[in-house]
Amino acid sequence: MRVRFELNGEPVEVEARADEVLTETLGRLGFAGVRETCGIGVCGACTVLVDGETASGCLFLAPLAAGRAVTTVEGLGGDDPVQRAFVETHAFQCGYCTPGMVLAARRLLEENLRPSEEEVRLGLAGNLCRCGCYVKIVEAVLLAAGREEQWTS
Amino acid sequence: MRSRRFRDRAGRDRKAGRCSARRDGSDGDGGRVTDPRVTGAARYAIDSELPGMLHARIVRSPYPHARVVRVDASSIPPGTVALVPDDVRELGRYGVQIRDQTVLALDRALHVGDPVAAVAAPTARDAEEAAALVEVDYEELPAVADVLEAVAPGAPLVHDEHVLSSGGAAYFGLRPQPGTNVCHRFRIRHGDVDAGFAEADVVVQDVFRTAGAQHAHMEPHACLASWEGETLHVRTGTQTPFNLREELAQVFGLEQERVRVVAPPMGGSFGAKTFLRAEAIAAALARKAGRPVKLVIPRSEEWLTLNRHPAVIELAIGARADGVLLAKRVACYADTGAYADCGPGVAQKMGFAAPGPYRIPNVAVDAYCVYTNTPPNGAFRGYGQMQSTWASERAMDMLADRLGLDPLELRLRNLLRDGDRYCTGETMHDVHFAECLEAAAEAIGWRDGRRGKGLAVMLKGMQTPSRASVAIEAGTDGGYVLRCATTEMGQGARAALTRLAAELLEVEPARVRFPDPDTGLVPYDTRTTSSRSTYMMGRALAEAVRDLRANGGRRGYGEIANPGGLDPDTGQGVASTHWHQGAAAAEVRVDEETGKVEVVRLHAAIYAGRVVDRASAELQNEGSMIMGLGTALFEEVVLADGAVANANLSDYAVPSFADLPGRLTHELLERDGAEIHGLGETALPPVPPAIGNAAGSLGVRATELPLTPERVLAALEERP
Repeated sequence: MRVRFELNGEPVEVEARADEVLTETLGRLGFAGVRETCGIGVCGACTVLVDGETASGCLFLAPLAAGRAVTTVEGLGGDDPVQRAFVETHAFQCGYCTPGMVLAARRLLEENLRPSEEEVRLGLAGNLCRCGCYVKIVEAVLLAAGREEQWTS
Repeated sequence: MRSRRFRDRAGRDRKAGRCSARRDGSDGDGGRVTDPRVTGAARYAIDSELPGMLHARIVRSPYPHARVVRVDASSIPPGTVALVPDDVRELGRYGVQIRDQTVLALDRALHVGDPVAAVAAPTARDAEEAAALVEVDYEELPAVADVLEAVAPGAPLVHDEHVLSSGGAAYFGLRPQPGTNVCHRFRIRHGDVDAGFAEADVVVQDVFRTAGAQHAHMEPHACLASWEGETLHVRTGTQTPFNLREELAQVFGLEQERVRVVAPPMGGSFGAKTFLRAEAIAAALARKAGRPVKLVIPRSEEWLTLNRHPAVIELAIGARADGVLLAKRVACYADTGAYADCGPGVAQKMGFAAPGPYRIPNVAVDAYCVYTNTPPNGAFRGYGQMQSTWASERAMDMLADRLGLDPLELRLRNLLRDGDRYCTGETMHDVHFAECLEAAAEAIGWRDGRRGKGLAVMLKGMQTPSRASVAIEAGTDGGYVLRCATTEMGQGARAALTRLAAELLEVEPARVRFPDPDTGLVPYDTRTTSSRSTYMMGRALAEAVRDLRANGGRRGYGEIANPGGLDPDTGQGVASTHWHQGAAAAEVRVDEETGKVEVVRLHAAIYAGRVVDRASAELQNEGSMIMGLGTALFEEVVLADGAVANANLSDYAVPSFADLPGRLTHELLERDGAEIHGLGETALPPVPPAIGNAAGSLGVRATELPLTPERVLAALEERP
């Protein structure tokens, strides 16, 4: 079936099976940053934003994206305070979970501009990093949060 | 809740996905960050593609031990290729230490998940469907799943014979015990253990157990195999490109130069992407199909591919009333599953790590690598070390308790110092165990009260013997290219070696390129394991730069070897040319109603010698500690009738943000002019016993990992 949606700000139209999940569709479009990893929605590596809300790309059916705005890490273009803070604090090792982590962190900060360390931990508990970069990821999120001029309500 | 919008500096609303840029922190033009890991541009083996490639899927045995009676792939659809036992019967056997594996199970399938056939199809979905159409008839055979049952007389034999490998990873004397499930036995004989125990005022004796674990590297095993004439090309996530090349050459009967392994960065590995995993199946399918074949292991099959060795460790330690250690006797049983892989090395390391970093005049160790009809176990961050350190350091606390001594004082009284001989006979140098332990104790306020607190200290060997070599080529642009087999799995080897090369060459790091290792282009390296690369390859780099300078500045080659090794029957020799040293300290609360252990404070003090890349060093320490936390509290591969009962990331928990200790801190001990000490694993093994000892101070006499609420409640019930 044909599915039309907005991807990183651009309209796209793709052919997708009715039972296809977003990771598959986006992978076909070359957006490899969205990676199916656990395949059951518990690790967060395939996190995307759908109309600004986090969604697991491995569970989200592609046809349900119709008419909605999907954002992947590629859509941030390296031009985002969260991405910058991740680089500054060295908040990744292998990088496999990083795209999902960045998007989840971004959504967390949209909801809570001044999270405590505890709130960051809880807010990102649905994103696993097996390299165990959690300490520096918390630092990154708090650093991004502290840059008020970039985050306004 | 309505989401916040980002604004640019002019205050205009912008779409989610973009926001204003600040120039600090950028590593690219125009204030944008360019690190591919943070932009989504990172590519791993799983992203490898070739025109016309097929996707593979493995058909696996559902039985722990079964005769494969019939494999019938006649119903698979056109355009799909099947690989069945008859296709691979003539291929060579592989196995880096014991040659016990065939590309598919030929006559007997030895564990649940053992590959019996494989298919390749135009899409991964087609392959999954085709795999379901392959019919296999089995005849079940008696199986053994428990390591102690497997060493008991009369146990079903997993393998009829033990054929030794002659490859580069069979680097020590292998001692399989014919007619048993023991594929390697390693011993240390030092002093007179019976006399030592006879002299002891106190002896502590117990049996310790550690669970199997899954690496859960985020990027699964993935490879792409293709043939160009009689040359096999493989792109795969691997820590061991040269060992893999050797194994594939062995399987296909090729000269090693006819196998080319390219190793892109890995999305995590932790020991899982070592030696030969699924590459031979992909290569055999590619040869049969006449097309490239990509094989990605589905997540649930990772638990059937490789896990960490569960272990049983029987330990006795004796001391004088003043705490001076007199004797230690240890038997280690490493459950290697159905195939040895590097299990003999794991058992040997478990054996020579078991005495711990102490002066003990009388030591006897017997370590066994044991086959069972369970999925294979192999390298896992800090291999062999974690299991032994759990037993050894829990026993030290039990001994301190019996002696009425402070566990810190007991350890300090016995720790190895510079110039001491270890039980292997080697002389210790650059020794910092006491400093690490004191630093860890200090961090948690040990001397302000020990209730709820625990310590652990350990020595960890580095791959010995091994060899590292590297070539440096000058480019026409004033930059340099490193031809180096060290692989990147997130540990930061590329950053560290690039930085070291840049320092030595006196150029900016950006002028040094470090392409993906390609066995057709890079000189030999043993492998990227055992936290050896920054140290060994760093020294080879220094040689290469000297060579480059001495020979016109165009090309330099450097090679370093660390000779050594142990006699497998006496354990005498050189276990490690250089020891990794570290300590951990934990403070916990135990909920006596639920059995839950809460880690409120965790600290590690690790000897680094010299830090090359500080960010990577810190990340490796933190990551090791967090992995150690999972090992301590909940990670466990659960088997039921030989099958893995929790083969998914929901039932098999790995640490998340929510599991972090209240405070997690660490320190790197550095010394001017000291050697670089690898940091990839050192902070993992001391964490479980530090947590176990902290729980022990609250009356939880735990001997088995992980410290699940059930085990904690059981231990509390046994409290006198």
